[in-house]
Amino acid sequence: MASKGLAIAAAIIIIIIIIGAAAYYMSQKPAPATTTTTSTSTSTSTTTKTTTSTTTSAAPSKPVLTGNFEKDVIAIGKYLESKGIHTVKFTVWATGDPNSVMRMYGLYEAAYKINKIWEKNGINVKIVMDKFWESSFKKLYDEFTSAVPQGTNGDFFVNSYIYIANLASQGYILDINSYVEKYWDSVFKDFYTPIMEAAKYKGHYYGVPQDTEARPIYVRKDVAACMGWDISNLAQQVKDGKFTWHDMFKKAEEAVSKGCAKWGLIHRKGSAHPDLIQFIFAYGGKLYDEKTGKLVLDVPAVYKWFATEYAFAQHKLLPKDMMSWDWAQQIHPTVVNDCKGSPTGCTLFFIGGTWHWTEWQTKAYYYDPTTKKQRPLTPEEEVKKFYYTLFPAGDPGDKPVTLSQPFMWMIAENAGKDNPNYNQLKDVYHELAFLMVVGASDPEINAIHSVISGHVPVRKAAAALLKNETWVNDLINMKINLSPDVKKAIEPIVRRTANKINIQFLANVSYMLEYTHLAPSHPLYPKLAGFFADAINKVLMGEMTPKDAVNYLIQKIKADPQLSANVEIVGSIPSNWSFP
Amino acid sequence: MMPEVADVETIERRRMNIMLGIVVLLASAPILVTYFVLIASSFTNQMITGGIIGQLTFTLENWILFFEGKLAVTAASVLSFWDILRYIFNTFIIAFGVMIVVTVLATLAGYACSRMKFKGRTFLIQLLILLHAFPGVSLIIAVYALYIFSKQPLPASAWTFYAFLYVIVARAALEVPMDVWIMKGFFDKVPWEIEWSAIVDGASRIKVWKDIILPLVKPGIAAIAIFSFIAGWGELIYVMVFLPATEKTLATYIAGLLAGGSLEVVHLPVVAAAGTLYLIPTLVFFTFVRRYMLQTSLSGIKG
Amino acid sequence: MKVSRKLTLLFFLGPALFVVVLFYIVPLFLSIYISFTPMTDWNINRYLTQFIGLQNYERLIHIMMYDPDMRAVIITTCVFIAVTLVINVFGGLLLALATYFMDEKLSLAYQGLWLLPRMTPVAVYSLLWYYFFHSSGIGLLNAILMRLHLINHPIALGLDPRYLPWGAWFIIIFVNGLVGVSYGMIIFYSAFKSIPKELIIAARVDGASTGRIIRHILLPLTKWHFTFITVWQMLSLLTSFAQIFLLVEWRVVDSTWGQTWALYVFRTAFTTVKDQGLAAAASTFLSVIGIALGLVALKALGYKKMILEPKGDI
Repeated sequence: MASKGLAIAAAIIIIIIIIGAAAYYMSQKPAPATTTTTSTSTSTSTTTKTTTSTTTSAAPSKPVLTGNFEKDVIAIGKYLESKGIHTVKFTVWATGDPNSVMRMYGLYEAAYKINKIWEKNGINVKIVMDKFWESSFKKLYDEFTSAVPQGTNGDFFVNSYIYIANLASQGYILDINSYVEKYWDSVFKDFYTPIMEAAKYKGHYYGVPQDTEARPIYVRKDVAACMGWDISNLAQQVKDGKFTWHDMFKKAEEAVSKGCAKWGLIHRKGSAHPDLIQFIFAYGGKLYDEKTGKLVLDVPAVYKWFATEYAFAQHKLLPKDMMSWDWAQQIHPTVVNDCKGSPTGCTLFFIGGTWHWTEWQTKAYYYDPTTKKQRPLTPEEEVKKFYYTLFPAGDPGDKPVTLSQPFMWMIAENAGKDNPNYNQLKDVYHELAFLMVVGASDPEINAIHSVISGHVPVRKAAAALLKNETWVNDLINMKINLSPDVKKAIEPIVRRTANKINIQFLANVSYMLEYTHLAPSHPLYPKLAGFFADAINKVLMGEMTPKDAVNYLIQKIKADPQLSANVEIVGSIPSNWSFP
Repeated sequence: MMPEVADVETIERRRMNIMLGIVVLLASAPILVTYFVLIASSFTNQMITGGIIGQLTFTLENWILFFEGKLAVTAASVLSFWDILRYIFNTFIIAFGVMIVVTVLATLAGYACSRMKFKGRTFLIQLLILLHAFPGVSLIIAVYALYIFSKQPLPASAWTFYAFLYVIVARAALEVPMDVWIMKGFFDKVPWEIEWSAIVDGASRIKVWKDIILPLVKPGIAAIAIFSFIAGWGELIYVMVFLPATEKTLATYIAGLLAGGSLEVVHLPVVAAAGTLYLIPTLVFFTFVRRYMLQTSLSGIKG
Repeated sequence: MKVSRKLTLLFFLGPALFVVVLFYIVPLFLSIYISFTPMTDWNINRYLTQFIGLQNYERLIHIMMYDPDMRAVIITTCVFIAVTLVINVFGGLLLALATYFMDEKLSLAYQGLWLLPRMTPVAVYSLLWYYFFHSSGIGLLNAILMRLHLINHPIALGLDPRYLPWGAWFIIIFVNGLVGVSYGMIIFYSAFKSIPKELIIAARVDGASTGRIIRHILLPLTKWHFTFITVWQMLSLLTSFAQIFLLVEWRVVDSTWGQTWALYVFRTAFTTVKDQGLAAAASTFLSVIGIALGLVALKALGYKKMILEPKGDI
């Protein structure tokens, strides 16, 4: 009995020690400084400084952005210094695939640049950065929205543009429209217009594009050759709208019936957004009405989309359980494997993304018939295997499309909150944060990010760098113009991903951004997208005909009063149209 | 000395053992298969699924990657080994915290509901079980609102500690009603006479509870300790919402790996490794606590 | 005497009541209040004070009346709760009995095994069943059945219209059942273990068979636990969806026939906009149903008779 009591007592003591240690450990973490405590202590230290430059007599007035980066940085630095602030803390919250770390380090780089300017001008202020990475972009959004009311959110939020509408309407991110206007000529004029437009909410800019991608159709060169199909001019034909989805069907059927490929078409699983939404645009439909600000269910376009996929599935050119295929074990292997002698067979067409190009080189999806094991593809093998074009027009007369989901640099409405005198110096901290975003938008940073993560640049200057042989060679030889810390962090990735073929690929696909569409940034769009996914799954499985599926969609929208009020249902099912 | 249940009729016992063993084994087949897949997948280059057995190779890289905070073979490292350790440590804090709070509170209150007369007793007992009708998911926004309000007067340096405390107590609160019911059931079974004689001898209610009754309801305490530990170990929503985003637990970290947008880029066998690691502490805890589920015996009680 | 009695009561009941009131009951009423606000995206600063009356409820009822999936969701919910409840309660009982009569070490192993589903992170658990029930040849079930030559082509059990709704129902019941069973198993097992061994031994010495011991000693003494587990699991099944959520997201089961009401509400309310006002309304609605069902169940199981009058207040 006594030993049992001792055991329990010991357990309780140990647990109390653990909790106590935890509490102690927690309290040691640097805590966000509150506005009241620190301001008094720092003001005394500045009076002893003698080395700094001239005007200690007249206190600088609150800086306003002029559009000249260096001037604005200096003005802000001097102002902060005059208020007794020597350290500015910023945290960046970012997300995405593991190679997209420049979403954090781009801002680190900007901070480095700014710190250097201040140092050069004798301003004793430094930006100190902290970061937080979440691998799921949805989860980061959840974490951000639940953290803002508590004031525990990151100052910078780097995530998909689709969240801008919601975050802006909730007042969680900054309206940076006036700042962007100041820097329009020197910086933002260079950005691709559709991508820049995606950063707007109710006509104001709330973010700055960080990167984007495009969604090409990948065509297997070996399957085309087997069919006797010359695809050397296919991209141009698609661009001109001369090769439509009706032609896609014919070619897919031919490929499968001739035994050249197991499948005619493969696409993503799980959700309809974003890849399959391209069908709506390809058939000349739209998802958003700019005039009313409402979402649109374009019935004829959606019907044609369903009918197209229905036909592919019914003719066994597209797997009917496509929506539940496994990425790592079915989708990617089928896309990259050889047609003969591989466990999955191959496909003629794949509705993919530009980032897949590097993913196939970094993940082991390809079944090597000689070793009978899976391995990544080499860039040379990829070039031999894949041709890529825009997403073709739906009917003759429609235009080809692609779809982009740009990522945005967003500034939290309380950016700078972890710094002294936040309430008085709010505007200054916000301006500084914006300047950091400007710094992070440097063409070189954008270009390096594109290369290592397989994204497409958002500004023409960055795309030009990709076409610049000297720059490319420097990059491959690791002559990267970045701060030492950032350089060290990304060096292994650069080594793995920077090669001429991949950079050439990115340069080649940049033209697609001129044809790109974006899914609406409306807060209710994800709900609509969810309905699309359920509906297309039923269509593919043969559970519903395209007509029934469209009616199902209409019913689902009408059932929810909030959706009903925010979605315009336009048009009707076309009577004289068939596919193929 | 009283004979153990096992001493009597050993032959029948052995036959029953074998029969039971086989029946339960068959019924457990799906669990055996799927958990074998989980554990084995953490040691192979791909998730073990039908049809690719020939392409699997043994590797330890998933475990190495997991502890390095990397999610795929060619990924940049966005976390460090210390981050992972910290996540595991955080999970222990929450799990033990919840377990202790729940076990203590429920054992106390269960006794009261069983043995003490007070106004509204029946109503309270009914209320406790019917509370479960309200889905926990929606409770979160209200708990969140209360959290924000209660946090205001605290200095910022205490926020993280307060967050942990809040998560533990708020999560425990969700378990307490059911565990009070469970403990009440156990307390009810203790023969009244045992208590009676002690009280008549002049012992206080509290002393009686502590020294005499508690040992008799050890299996019940063990049961609720197990459930509440599992609850704390696996808590997702409260941890995600209240703890700063940098303080994850193993549970929320794993959930983040499989959330939308992440599932396509993460190397799943690394997740299998994380999942396997996740099971170990709970299994150890279960094994440890189970010895308190010994068959109780009346003869163990002192007069 | 009175004061010390009150203090004793406070000592025992106080802490639990304090915690439950503060962190469960108060938030519950606050949630009900929130169902009357347009709360979204955690924005309590903005929406907590906006009162919109019954709008969320009207929206909810409108959705229920017009959503084409609603009929399927309701039927699925009823079938799901009924069948899984039976499996959970009786399966748990059977497992508890089996492990009670087993050798201690074997018993520990099997109980640990059956606790694994409960101990696994929900996402990982869903991932395992995703791979087990996958619609193609990579699904373990399909692979095993094809290897045994029971089927020639892989079956999309949760999706194929030919098997709906039974295939989808089978999967969600199976997946939840494996988790639920361990609950009853542990509680019943503990209950059996708290029956003094003298009783069992005496019965054995009298020549009672195992069946008689079960029927006349074990089961009668666990009525309270049986009632509790039944009502509790019923309410759990009514309100939880964690294990099914990812199965629907990852398209292992059909979205129409694989959703219970709780999951449906979650998906409706929490897709990107965290529609917390609507979710609170749906939860309040669900709780009313749950409380009604719970009260009926308690009465049917003879709850009142089981509440013994407490003794000991001298």
